[in-house]
Formats: sequence, structure tokens, C-alpha cells
Amino acid sequence: MKQVLLAALLLVVAAGTANSQWDLPRNLPPEEYGTVLIDRTSAQNTVVPVVFSHIVHRRKHTCRVCHFEIEFNFKTNTTEITEAASRGGKFCGTAGCHDGRTVFGHDKPNCERCHRGTRAADKKDIDALTALPKSRFGNGVNWVKALEKGLIKPLTHLTMPQTDLSFDKRLLLEAEWNNIPPALFPHREHVAWLDCNNCHPDIFNIKKKTTKHFSMVRILKGEFCGVCHLTVAFPMDDCKRCHPKIR
Amino acid sequence: MKKTILLGMFILLCVAVTVGLAQTGVKKKRPLPYEYGRVVMNGLSGQAGLPAVEFDHWLHRTRFTCRLCHVDLAFAMKAGGTNVRAVDNAKGFYCGACHNGKKDGTGKRLFESCAVTYTREDLHRCEQCHSRGRTVKREYDFDAVSGRFPKERFGNGINWEKAEADGLIKLVDELPGVSIHRQPMKVQKDFTIAAENKGIPEIIFSHKKHTVWNGCEVCHPEIFIGVKRGATKYSMVEIYNGKFCGACHGSVAFPLLDCQRCHSKPVQPA
Repeated sequence: MKQVLLAALLLVVAAGTANSQWDLPRNLPPEEYGTVLIDRTSAQNTVVPVVFSHIVHRRKHTCRVCHFEIEFNFKTNTTEITEAASRGGKFCGTAGCHDGRTVFGHDKPNCERCHRGTRAADKKDIDALTALPKSRFGNGVNWVKALEKGLIKPLTHLTMPQTDLSFDKRLLLEAEWNNIPPALFPHREHVAWLDCNNCHPDIFNIKKKTTKHFSMVRILKGEFCGVCHLTVAFPMDDCKRCHPKIR
Repeated sequence: MKKTILLGMFILLCVAVTVGLAQTGVKKKRPLPYEYGRVVMNGLSGQAGLPAVEFDHWLHRTRFTCRLCHVDLAFAMKAGGTNVRAVDNAKGFYCGACHNGKKDGTGKRLFESCAVTYTREDLHRCEQCHSRGRTVKREYDFDAVSGRFPKERFGNGINWEKAEADGLIKLVDELPGVSIHRQPMKVQKDFTIAAENKGIPEIIFSHKKHTVWNGCEVCHPEIFIGVKRGATKYSMVEIYNGKFCGACHGSVAFPLLDCQRCHSKPVQPA
């Protein structure tokens, strides 16, 4: 009887370990990192899927503008974007964005500018990145430095100005494993791009140490930090950037 | 015996997985504008062989203050907290105080709520409220109603405060035979509430904006003791858990997404 129990236990442990392999997701080429192909209903309606480039948009807008003010979800294909809604001034068509006055709108000659169906970037958009500070992974751009140095001046809001947030709490996050030095989380660099609500309380609780299951394995599966730092913000290959003392 | 142990282990594993999924580090699905503020009441409906009741706040708040239903008609603030019985409605309590088949102040006949005996023909009327899981043709359409009001982000996508201030909705705060007529009170000036964390903007709280809908009694003394400023201590964690401001803001009033709508006082440079 004991043997059966032991075998079952071993099986559970083995399944658990197999699950926690440190496989980093394969990264896209720098100019395609952060580019999203949106195909919620396009293909069904025989329309070419939409390509959305974070590198083009984040030079001009902070994350907050689209993911807070305009209510785009973080997960591809979960926002109920429709042509009618966009034409009616929601989502992409919000006043101050693709409304036909500020930037190209939803009229005939412009369809293919978004409905392109490919991640391939325009040469001028790639060239625009060369002037920005370098980083090793992701887009190859250190966006935090670019913002701090004033090399890019993204809009922080469209209609609802953000109250000046000087919140700069730095959190030391102990790693689960003994030999891994802690991660350092700076609020300031995040607040520059994001609204409080983008992370709290859905992704992270606001009370220290109450966020459960906040482990590297879960992060690599796209939870917690992984919501952004796998697909758009600098990817996890850059261990040192969060765990500064890692060797 | 072996089978029992294996089954036991399997159940344990399932429990572990479920507990593990209880909190995920990803964003939650937000209700769509017409779903926001919808309350599903399933206290006794099942026993009567009826689907649960769906109550849409967006429809009712175009005509009535929160106070009228939540104070004068004694509706609890939590779904299922009132446990309304059909017989109560039939006697003119709760929903039945307005939905009694008689004409209201505007000359409109409001359909009668629950009765003690039913006929097959009544089904359509029952389904006006007992609609969970059914496709019911409603008298009011969300897009048509919301299209009349100023737009806003989040929640119902309607700026209720502005709609009221601009006179687009005229709120009824008293129900003859139920409410008492109250004298208007002097409006207190807006004041600030300090945030717990340094660097987070202070809250500007407006009694004026709240009393239009709530009078005094929706909030005081149960949610906030309110006899003396600072007598009630609360944190954002409790608010996210549906206490204090979270009693309304999070489910019906503008949601807690909108941090800076309350935390709106510019931070003084140190």
C-alpha cells in the first residue's frame, strides 16, 4: 500500500518539475517584438487581420492612454473592437487618434495601413529606433532611458489628465530560491508609462506580500510581470535588469 | 482500498489545482457597459421554478435615487442580501412598492410584480424580471437609453453625475406613502482625505455629489460612522474587497479602475 502511495506522490512531484523548466519563450526579431496581429473577427469576415505595432505607438503615447483611457485589454483578441465602434469614435477611432483628423481615419484608402496581416515593420519605423538608447533584448531599445532623457515625449493622456504621481516606492522582492538574488521593483519607471489600475489590484494586490503564487514559473507563463514583460516590455532574457545582483 | 487512495489523491490534486487558480496574475474580464451594475438575485426564484431575477441598475437610476430603494424600500446593498419573497412584492413591499400595476407619477403604468397565483399568460410578465438565461425582449434598450446621456469611460459608459447635473434625468427621491419629506440640508464643502502612501495624490471627497443620489442614510452610520471626521479607518484593500467606498464603487457607481477620479489632488512637491 505504501508503495502505491509513494509512486503516486513521485508522479505528482515529477509532473510539477517537468512543468517548471526554464524555457524562455522564443523572441521575435527586434523590429517585430511587441507587434500584435489582431484577428478576433477579421478572418471570419474575410478581412485581412490587423497589425498593431507597439514600437510605433509607444514613441507617441504611454501605455496608459490605450490600456486605461481607451480600454484596450492586455490580451490580444479579447477587446470587442469592431469597425463600427472604431468609426463611432471608440478604440482606434477615439478622438485624438485615428479619427481622420489627428491621424489617418477609417476611410477607404487607409484600410490596408492596418489590415496588413503581417508583422513586418516599415523601414521608416525601424529607422526611427536607431536614435534611441540601446538595450540587448526585445526591440533593442531601452525605452525607460529614452523617456528619461526626453528623446521621446509620449502623450500621457487624451482627455483625462493624470494627476502628478510622485510615487516612488521601491520594492525588494525576495526570490524563491536561495541562490537567486532578490528582484528590485521600481514604481517610478512603471508609473511613467502606466496607470495604477493597469497592475492593481487585478495583477498584483496592493498590500505587500499578499499577492499569491507570484513565482517565476507563473511569470514565464504570462502572469504577473509576464503580462507585459514577455511580449511588449523588455523580455525576461534580461535577468539582470530585475535581479541586479545576479551573476 | 488501492482505488480509494488513488481516488483520494486525485481529488487532492484537483483541489490543489483549483486553489492554485483562485488568484491569477492576469487582468480580470471587465463587464460590458450594459452588464455593469447588473445584479442577479436568486434567493427564492429556484424554489418557485423560475429563473433568477436580473436587475439592471442603469435602467432604474435614470429615474430614481439610490436612497429611495436602498433606504426607503429597504433593499440591501449586496445581491441576495434582501431575499425578497413573491408574497412581499404582492403586498407592496420591495419591487411591489412601484411595480403594482398602477400608474406612477408620470402617468405610466408599471407592470405588476409577483402575484400569489399565476396563469400561463402571466409568464411574459414574470420574465421581465426572472430572465436569467432566457432571451427576453425588454421594454428598454441599453443603447437607446445610454445614447441620450453624456459619455464616460468605464462602468456603464455613462456620466451619471453630469446627466443629473445637466437635467437630462430628474431623480425621484420620494415615494408617496413610503418616504417622509425631508428638508434640504446645507451642503458641506468638499474636503480632502489623505492617502496612506506617500506620493499618492490625496482624495477630494464631495458630499454634494454623493447626497444627490444617496441622502445621508445610504452611507451613514452603517458604512461610515460619520459622527466625526477620521472616526472610520479604512484602507484601499478593504475598499477593493467591497467595503466602505467599495460598497458602491466597484459594482454600480463608477468603478475603482478610475484611481485618479478620487485621488485627484495634485501632490505637493516635497
